[in-house]
Amino acid sequence: MNITTLLSTLVLLLCSPAILAHEEHEHGAMKASPEKMWSDSMAKEQTMAMSVTFDAKGRLWRTSVKDHHVLVDYSEDSGKTFSSPVQVNSQPEPVGADGDSRPKIAVGKHGEVYVTWSMLLDKPYTGDVRFSSSLDGGKTFSTPFTVNDNHDVIAHRFDAMAVSTDGKIYIAWVDKRDLATAKKNGEKYGGSAVYYAVSGNNGASFEANLKLADHSCDCCRIALVAPPEGAPVAFWRHVYDGNIRDHVMSILDGKNELRRVSHDDWKIDACPHHGPSLAIASDNVYHFAWFDNAPKSHGLFYTQTRDKGQTFSAQMHFGDDAHQAGHPDVLSLGREVFLAWKEFDGEATSVRIMHSRDGGVSWSLPRNAAVTHDASDHPQLASYNGKVWLSWNAKQEGYRLIALGDAP
Amino acid sequence: MIRGFIFFAALLAFVAVQAQELKPFVRGSQQVIVASHQDKPFILALWSLDCTHCIDDMALLGKLSKKYRNLDLVLVSTDSPEQTQQIARTLQHYRLSHADSWVFADGYVERLRFEVDPQWYGELPRTYFFDASGHSTAISGKIDRKEIEHWIQSSLKQG
Repeated sequence: MNITTLLSTLVLLLCSPAILAHEEHEHGAMKASPEKMWSDSMAKEQTMAMSVTFDAKGRLWRTSVKDHHVLVDYSEDSGKTFSSPVQVNSQPEPVGADGDSRPKIAVGKHGEVYVTWSMLLDKPYTGDVRFSSSLDGGKTFSTPFTVNDNHDVIAHRFDAMAVSTDGKIYIAWVDKRDLATAKKNGEKYGGSAVYYAVSGNNGASFEANLKLADHSCDCCRIALVAPPEGAPVAFWRHVYDGNIRDHVMSILDGKNELRRVSHDDWKIDACPHHGPSLAIASDNVYHFAWFDNAPKSHGLFYTQTRDKGQTFSAQMHFGDDAHQAGHPDVLSLGREVFLAWKEFDGEATSVRIMHSRDGGVSWSLPRNAAVTHDASDHPQLASYNGKVWLSWNAKQEGYRLIALGDAP
Repeated sequence: MIRGFIFFAALLAFVAVQAQELKPFVRGSQQVIVASHQDKPFILALWSLDCTHCIDDMALLGKLSKKYRNLDLVLVSTDSPEQTQQIARTLQHYRLSHADSWVFADGYVERLRFEVDPQWYGELPRTYFFDASGHSTAISGKIDRKEIEHWIQSSLKQG
């Protein structure tokens, strides 16, 4: 090897990130905590994380993330073509779009478009809940603002949003302010807390943050759904005594009553990154779907309550445990109820679908709705005018909106 | 000139060692790791930057690998190669730079996870204790110092 080759090799090697990292350590930054650049590192430029919703006129609204911008576009032909995406945040900021983190979109009765996301801060696992709205049909978006009124550099993440039938916007999220206080006082505090905020003025501002519950899991999405009347229902993975992570529901009506939904007794000091799903139609039956990996109950589960959480149906296992069934979504039209989830058989990823015609009492056999052979986002179900679609983004096939209406 | 060459050669060797710090964990890597540990007990620890409990595990593993010099440790970060700098920094912080370290280098993480273990759903931390015969016990969640020390002591005796 001559000197020139050697030098060019060296230059190449020096440009590798591992070396750059080492260089920094060599120059005295070694004691720097690993947290620096966390937000940049986690806010990947390319992500498949998306959310969709239909508005009252059947327009499909979609939000995604690219290059530190939250984007919104829409389709008027059931996902065949989309409008040019509009940037929600004109100033770039690191957007959480990994695992159970993704931007959320909701549309009000009069076509108001609401978007929330988590902006990652500099320390690991920290973030702020951000909100922006469009009152001109998605042409322009308001300057984003932070919804959490605690501004410590701690976690306010895994935002979920629902618009109640009276037009109020509810945002719930996982919040570590009580953990931080407990730590300061030398006390123990399991998990995080769930906080929420309400806007009664189309998102111009939010009222003071309210605590819904202490001791939620740290990194699983919250399911938040508005019933036909009244405040939304939240459903999340909770931390019970002894580090038991089971699911709980609560109505955001100010009473803060928690009702335990699952009894799987998954005892784990870990981040499952695997949050639940909830659906409520005009019949006011709550349908729950979740993942657990406890020794006694392992995999995906479904249950329902017809009396707002007083009593629950026997929980039903679904999906193929040998194929890593996970990331469930549930959708209810009343008598018609759909479950969607992901499976991987060693070669291919599929979104599996099950369908009930009697309000979730009996179910069809699972079937494949879509398949891919590379990375993909979590599946999401969406409905308009009695029709149901699977919304799924995959690296190879791109975005697909697949009609499920005529399922056997 | 010769002195310059030696300097660069030394630097290159040093740099090469550093560059090996994070091996790309791709399809087949799990088999490579297991095959390279025939008759040798080892710990395979999967972790990620975005996992609060993993950091506690890293701190513990750093201490244990100082205490038990023969501890054979394989660390697999489920982040991505773009996060190499951050991963390397974290490993260095917890004095784990010497460990055999890998990073998920295939966006099709479902397949990587399935190869590690079809029963692993991606929850982190996830730790496998491989005995000399290649059988493993898996733990999801934070590892317990007592249990892991017990395992190390008994497996080092056999090894």
